Amino acid sequence: MRTALMFARKEAFEILRTWRIYVLPAIMVFFAVTGPVLAKYTPELLGAVAGSQFASLQLPEPTVFDSYGQWIKNLSQIVIFALIIIYGGIISSERRSGTAVLVLTKPVSRTTFVMVKAAVHATYLAVLLVGGTLVTWVVTAVVFGEAPGGALWSSSLIWLVMAVCYLALMTLFSVLIPSAAGAAGAGLGAFMVLSIGGIWKPASDYSPAGLLERAATLATGEGADFPFWPVGSTLVLSLGAVGLAAILFRRKEL
Amino acid sequence: MSAALEALALTKTYKGKRVLDGVDLTVEEGSVFGFLGPNGAGKTTTLRLITGMARPTSGTIRVLGQDVATAGNAVRAELGFLPDVPAFYPWMTATEFMQFAGNLFGLEHRVLKQRTGMLLDTAGLAGVTGRIGGYSRGMRQRLGIAQALINAPRLLLLDEPTSALDPIGRKDVLGLIDSLRGRTTVFFSTHILGDVERVCDSVAILDRGRVLTQAPIHELKARYGRHKIVMEVSEGADGLAAAIGERPWAVSVARGNGGSIEVTVSDVQGAQHEIPGLVAAHRTGLVRLEAGEMGLEEVFVELVGESEP
Repeated sequence: MRTALMFARKEAFEILRTWRIYVLPAIMVFFAVTGPVLAKYTPELLGAVAGSQFASLQLPEPTVFDSYGQWIKNLSQIVIFALIIIYGGIISSERRSGTAVLVLTKPVSRTTFVMVKAAVHATYLAVLLVGGTLVTWVVTAVVFGEAPGGALWSSSLIWLVMAVCYLALMTLFSVLIPSAAGAAGAGLGAFMVLSIGGIWKPASDYSPAGLLERAATLATGEGADFPFWPVGSTLVLSLGAVGLAAILFRRKEL
Repeated sequence: MSAALEALALTKTYKGKRVLDGVDLTVEEGSVFGFLGPNGAGKTTTLRLITGMARPTSGTIRVLGQDVATAGNAVRAELGFLPDVPAFYPWMTATEFMQFAGNLFGLEHRVLKQRTGMLLDTAGLAGVTGRIGGYSRGMRQRLGIAQALINAPRLLLLDEPTSALDPIGRKDVLGLIDSLRGRTTVFFSTHILGDVERVCDSVAILDRGRVLTQAPIHELKARYGRHKIVMEVSEGADGLAAAIGERPWAVSVARGNGGSIEVTVSDVQGAQHEIPGLVAAHRTGLVRLEAGEMGLEEVFVELVGESEP
């Protein structure tokens, strides 16, 4: 247990002292700040750009839920893409650089190596999400003059479940594919499969394929039911992917 | 004395190519063991198998009495390992990496602090506060050796430990290895014969995946020393050398300075009986006649040369 904690400590310091502390937080803060502003002023911007062309088109008055929807949409597309690319080398980069050999010839099991990495970065994603959502919440309150919390936080937490699932899949792909770019490609393939799968209702109702759509629905504040089935199956898939990654990594030759 | 490391009929095949072919090794506890071989002989592969980073195609490895395939952390807790090109986290300092490594071994804070200071001092890195990303290859190699010793290992595995070092660094590292004799078993791979000759008790010579010989260094030299005769005559050395060269037991004859002649022989007794007669026939004075000792380099060249297809 102490070994796992020491390795987790190393992972945490690695986040704090390398590019990892800038890239994903910068992307999330950017969307957290700009999302509510864009949601509020998009009709006016469109009107200013298009002039009289859309004079007959009546855009609805923006609400806080447009701001929340913007936040979830950005998280579900650009932040997920960034996450897939960033974590393509979560395991393979240490294998390729040789640092894994120095660690794994000490009393650190390969299972610990994989599990701790996945756990630390899942925690990091959770911290980033909480931070980004707080910023969105505050900026929305400033821009719109009100910001009910329920829809924002419930939809963001649903997104977190899906983000952790992508992290778990990237951990698996990074064990299977030695190149970070190759693993990222596999991750983007998984994103496409899940996005297309969401069109089929049974998959949308019961599998991870429907989760991002449910998050978007919750953000509208329409009081949708909590998606227990997609959340449950996503958590099972995440645990399965990390468990499989650990088993496969134990068999790998370094 | 018990064996710190035993490999039995070890083979490793990569993509149909046999990289190790029936390697047998026995390394006595407390010894300094040189694992000598030309580049590509299979030294690094052997070390990867010993550390459990790769699995043998067949054969077994026992480290400190335990099977590497099943022992896991129990064996690794007693090992120190330096890879051929040690890689570190570039954002750490040397002290941080030493503390990270020590913590993975579960060392107490006080012991860890003391050892970190001592080992970094020995490695010539005391007072170096910069991040490892800015280190030279020699500095990384020295840090690699220091981190391999952080747990005071029972078995220290070093893959080409002096290859990236300047002459002074190399001398220091060999001195450090020498100082561990009797306290820790040291197994180090190298292609530098001088390093092995200087600090090792025993040596195994590996070539194209096969162990050509394994023996204590003095025994190896003596074994091959019997095949060499060094003599010195007062005059007429050239004529005598030519006559010796015609004898069936003479494998090669080399003229040295003055009247010295060096003969590699296939039949030592035959040579010892006939040489005095040849000296007398050439009416020259015999100044010296002795069994010469081959250096490790000559043994190595002879063995590796013999194994050429």
